[in-house]
This record gives sequence, C-alpha cells and structure tokens, in this order.
Amino acid sequence: MTQPSNPGGKGEDPLAALQAVIAREKQAFIDAKDGRKKIGYLCNYAPQELFNAAGVRHVRLFKGGDTDVVSIGERFTQSVFCDFTKACLGSFSGNDPLYKALDRVYAAHSCNTIKRVSEIINQFVPVKLLSLPKLRALQSSRDFFHEEFIDLRKDLEKLTGNKITDEAIQENIVLYNKLRHILKKISELRKRANPPITGAEYLDLVTGFYYIDPKLALPLYEDLYAKLAAKESALTGERPLRLMMAGSVVADGDRRMLDILEGELGSRVVVEAHCTGVRPFLHSLRENGDPLRALSDGYLDQAPCAKMRPLSDSSESAGRLAQEYSVDGIIYVYLKFCICYGVGTKEFMTHFQKIGIPALEVSSDYSESDHGQIKTRVEAFIEMLNERKDNLDEQYIGA
Amino acid sequence: MTQIKDAFKLSEIIGERAPKFRSEHPVLGLDLGSRASKAVLLHKDFLYATQIPTGYSMQETADELLEKLTQKAGVTRQDLRYIVGTGYGRITLKYDDIAYKVVTEITCHAMGSHVLYPKARTIIDIGGQDSKAIKVDPESGKVVEFVMNDKCAAGTGRFLEKAAQLLGIDLAALGQYSLKATDPSPISSQCVVFAESEMISLRARGKQDNPEESLANIAAGIHYSSARRVKNLLGRVGIDSDLVFSGGVSNNPGMWKVLEDVLGAKFAPPAPVDMIFAGALGASVFASRYASKPVHHAHPKPVLATA
Repeated sequence: MTQPSNPGGKGEDPLAALQAVIAREKQAFIDAKDGRKKIGYLCNYAPQELFNAAGVRHVRLFKGGDTDVVSIGERFTQSVFCDFTKACLGSFSGNDPLYKALDRVYAAHSCNTIKRVSEIINQFVPVKLLSLPKLRALQSSRDFFHEEFIDLRKDLEKLTGNKITDEAIQENIVLYNKLRHILKKISELRKRANPPITGAEYLDLVTGFYYIDPKLALPLYEDLYAKLAAKESALTGERPLRLMMAGSVVADGDRRMLDILEGELGSRVVVEAHCTGVRPFLHSLRENGDPLRALSDGYLDQAPCAKMRPLSDSSESAGRLAQEYSVDGIIYVYLKFCICYGVGTKEFMTHFQKIGIPALEVSSDYSESDHGQIKTRVEAFIEMLNERKDNLDEQYIGA
Repeated sequence: MTQIKDAFKLSEIIGERAPKFRSEHPVLGLDLGSRASKAVLLHKDFLYATQIPTGYSMQETADELLEKLTQKAGVTRQDLRYIVGTGYGRITLKYDDIAYKVVTEITCHAMGSHVLYPKARTIIDIGGQDSKAIKVDPESGKVVEFVMNDKCAAGTGRFLEKAAQLLGIDLAALGQYSLKATDPSPISSQCVVFAESEMISLRARGKQDNPEESLANIAAGIHYSSARRVKNLLGRVGIDSDLVFSGGVSNNPGMWKVLEDVLGAKFAPPAPVDMIFAGALGASVFASRYASKPVHHAHPKPVLATA
C-alpha cells in the first residue's frame, strides 16, 4: 500500500477526515429516500453544473480496479473492451449498491467503447447519451454541443418535474469554478520540492469532487488547502523523483500503478494528465453571458482528453503540465484496448521526447498477473531517472 | 546442457583495456531468472560464472549459487563484500550478513553487455519469459531507453520452449533444426496459443515422406515468428551498431541467424563469456562499484550488514 505522507503531527489527519465524509456521502446517496432523483454520469464531459442545478443527486461512475467485477462485466463484452468499461458493466450487473440506486445514467459519448457500454447499461438503468463533437475548434461543433446541452436540460427537467433556471445554472458555474480552482491550488502545492501529499492521496481527495455535494465539498477543500499549505515545505534528505502520470482514466479503486511508483519505489507522482487527477481542474468557465452557452463552451474547452481532435492538443497540454510541475519523468499508462490512449501512444511519446522529458509507456489492466513485469519496467525507468538526476545534481553542485 | 566456460582471467575478456570492474574483494552478481538463475563472482583478476535451473524458492536458489561460486573461487561467504541481485527473483532476495542491493535486469543487462562489448549501442535480450530491446550509452554502459514485451510469451524463450515440446524435440536442438530448413513454414500468429494450432496443422500437412525436413521448416517458421515480434520491439528504440544479443536465447544458433535476417543487421561476434551471464555480470559490476563506495547511491537504500 502507498505510504501516507506525514499528516502534520498533531490533530486529526485532514485527509482521513475528508475520506470519512466521502464514504458517508456515498452511503447517503445509496440510502436516501427523499424522492430526489439519483443520477450517475460517465466521463468528465458530462456537466455537473447542470445536474446540480436540476436538483438531482449525482455521482460520477468511475469505480474500477477489481478483477471480479471485471469478469462479471465480461459476460456482456468482447475481450477487446478495456477493463474500465468491463468494470462499469460489472458494477451494474453485479448489483453494486451505488449503481443499483440510480434512476438514470448520462453517458457522454467519449469513446466508441463507452458508447456501446452505455447501450448495455440501458438494460439495467435508462441511459441518455450525450453526443460529444470531437473537432472542438469548429463553430459548428460548439453550436452542436450547445444543442446537446439544451436537450440535456429538457431531459433533466422531465426527470425531476422541475424547471432548471438560468440563475441556477449561473450559480453552479460560479460554485464549480471555485471548486476547480481550489483543487488546482491543492495540486499546485505539489510543485514544492517536498510535496505535502502523495499522488495517491491527491487522487483520493479528488474523488470527493465526484461524490460529495459541492456546497459541502468547497469548505472542506478550502480547509484542507490551508492545512496542507501550512505543512513543512523544506526538503530534508534526498529529493524524491518527481513524476507525471498521463494516459487513460485511473478508476476509483485502481491504485496499482501508484502503489508501485510511490509505495514500492519511493517516487512521487506530482501531477496527472488524466481525467481523474488534476487535469479536469485546469480550466474555468465563463461567468457572464448565457450560462448554458458558457457551460457547453467551457466543457469543450477543458484540457482535452485523447478522444478530442487534433490529438496534438492533448499531447501538448500534457507536455506543458509536465514542464510546469518540473517532473523528472512521465509514466504514460493506458488500459489495454483503450482506443483513445492506446492508439494515441505514439503521438504522446513523440511529443514528450521532443520536449526532452523521459517517458515510459506502460499498458495495463486490473489483473495482478503482470505486476512483476510492470514493476521491472518502471523500476528500470526509475533507475535511469535517478542516474540522470544524480548527474544533474552533481553538475549543479559542481557549478 | 553443453559445457560452458565458467572461469576467466579478466585479460581474456577485455584484453588490454583498463578494467572497469576489477574488485579487490570478492563481490557477487545474482541474476535470478524465470527459468535459469545465473551468478558471476568477481575477485581480483578473475571472473567466475555458474548457472542452475531456478528452483521454487528464490532464496535457496541464490544460496546454492553463492555456495557454488565461492567454492569455485576459493573464497568464503564471509569474504563477500557486496551482492547485487537482479532478475525476476530479485525482490525476494534477503541477506542479513552481507551488504546487498537489487537492480533491475534491464540496467544489469546493459552494463554486462557494455563491459563485454564496449562499442555496444543496442542490446537485444531474450530471456525465459520476456524480451527487451535496450539502447545503451557506449561511454558509461547506462540505459538510454528500453522497450519490453507485453504480458505475452510471443518472442520469448517460453514460446520456443513450448514449440519444441509440441514438435517433440529438445529445446537445445530447436535452433539446429531450424538451420536445416529449406522453406520456412509460414507461422503468422504471434500468440503461443494460436501458433500452437497453426503448428499442429502444419505438422499434419507436412511431408510424410520427409518428416525431418518438415520439422526443420516448422522450427524455422517458429523462429521467424519470434524474430518479427522482436523486430517490432526494436523498431521503437532503433538499431545502432554495435548490436549485441544477450540472454539465454542468444545461445540458440537458429534465432541468431533468423534475427540477423529479419533485422537486416549483424550481431557483434560472440564474446568470450556466454551471454546468458550478461545480467549477472552487470550485477557483479554494480556490486564492485557499491563495494568501493557503498553509501553513494541512496536509492534504493543499500541494506548493510547488521551482524
């Protein structure tokens, strides 16, 4: 397991406190019987602002990492589906209480696999597909996505029987901007030579963004930021290797790679170019003009997933993030059969090479059988980076 | 197993070059592989090597190697100044009485190949359950870049082993058979499971009047199938000469020939030390370095003797 960072000595561990709230909120979602509709959404291109404005309870559906759940999902899929999508189906079919509680699912058409999977989910819970244009620079794409959001708004109004006002959307844009901003600021504390949290802890705290009521989450994150910022920032002992993790979704429950990188090999993941790390918090939505338009534009303009085109937008934004956080190396991890990040590997790796940051590509799934092989690869990469770092440090000291 | 030379004077290996890895005190490199475990002991002007099949317990295998080599070198366990472990079994390795450290086989194979072939830039290592392509810095022997096969036996020793079994011949003979091929059989599948069924149907369709020739052609087909897989790996790091072939499968003359053919490049001629020992040799080189300055590399921390 990953080593928790020193929680600052006295008082209760603020991260543990947050985890307790997340667990409580998940349970409350399952137990609630107040008539408020419960929806789940797939992918970060589904607008939380709109769900929250509709007054529904909402959670992101991104559990994964358990091979038993994957094998349940396999009954519905072919082997060439990634483990994340199989886990998603497995959670529905295997009666995961969180998934069983849902009244409706909103699936952004992120990749073709997710689209197919959403059609199967329809057997368990009614699904609405949100069509996502991939050529985000085109005005026609922007208009189309806006139309999709108008349709989504109507669908939510029909589900709840309540109107979603522009004011409510506007209010939620402001609220979520604040949330994204504070999560970005927490992440930026990892720019320190001695990051106050591990990569695994950051991913764990980010899950709150997808499970906790945003009004409840904001003060918790603000408090957490203050506590983490106050932690000792000076580095004692050797500087740990700084890594970026880039690639496919890292599911809630999938800490395999982080366990190896941080737990077994002692490096630190300080930034993520994937959709369950800091990447979704890099942008801010417009707070003036038509709120629904601000929403559809903002969601298209977020730091892009590899499903968007041109792909160079994704690789370049990942590269900028790596430079901004001064990483020693990048671990590019994609789930086997991922049609976005698997096929995009060459583009990403070539770009990382171009900007001079060593990168290692690893294809992975949720099974344990390749743990040894993956560890060997990652460990050799880390040996390489340590040599490089020692050389650089020596040069620096010598200068 | 054919007799492999296992004791060397350093000058036999590196000629007049200044030794980068001479060790005044005995140091040991252990390469605990998936199929075979190898060890190299360096002491003064001598290098000793040995190998045994990997047993169920990695620690017992390691102890057996240690015992054999210290005896051969005429030193005792207490004389050993440092051990570096590598290979799949490295993680379970533990010594309370000797300073030791683990280093990955990628780094060790690069270093082992580098000291034997100072001009090496590209290394192909094919072992029992994985194959790797490593780009190495000819100045230092450090890894510049590497690629490793997926969770899959294609292009590894395991694939050849399975094929030999299916053909009913000894693994050691598989390469020799393939050299006699007149028309290598097309084996398109690179998956062991599917290649198996291809082989079964090839065997059934083979020339009944000349089973030996048919066997040779299938054996060659198997090698070509593996070689293509390895070529794909290399495509990503490139082929800069000198090109070196290391790991257990480098002893297979059929693979040697077929790889040269598929890659359109020549391997550097065999070194005096069998390349199955490249990983253990690299480990022993690191051991000699750590023995001379044991606290330099704090990552991961060397475990020092507690007794």
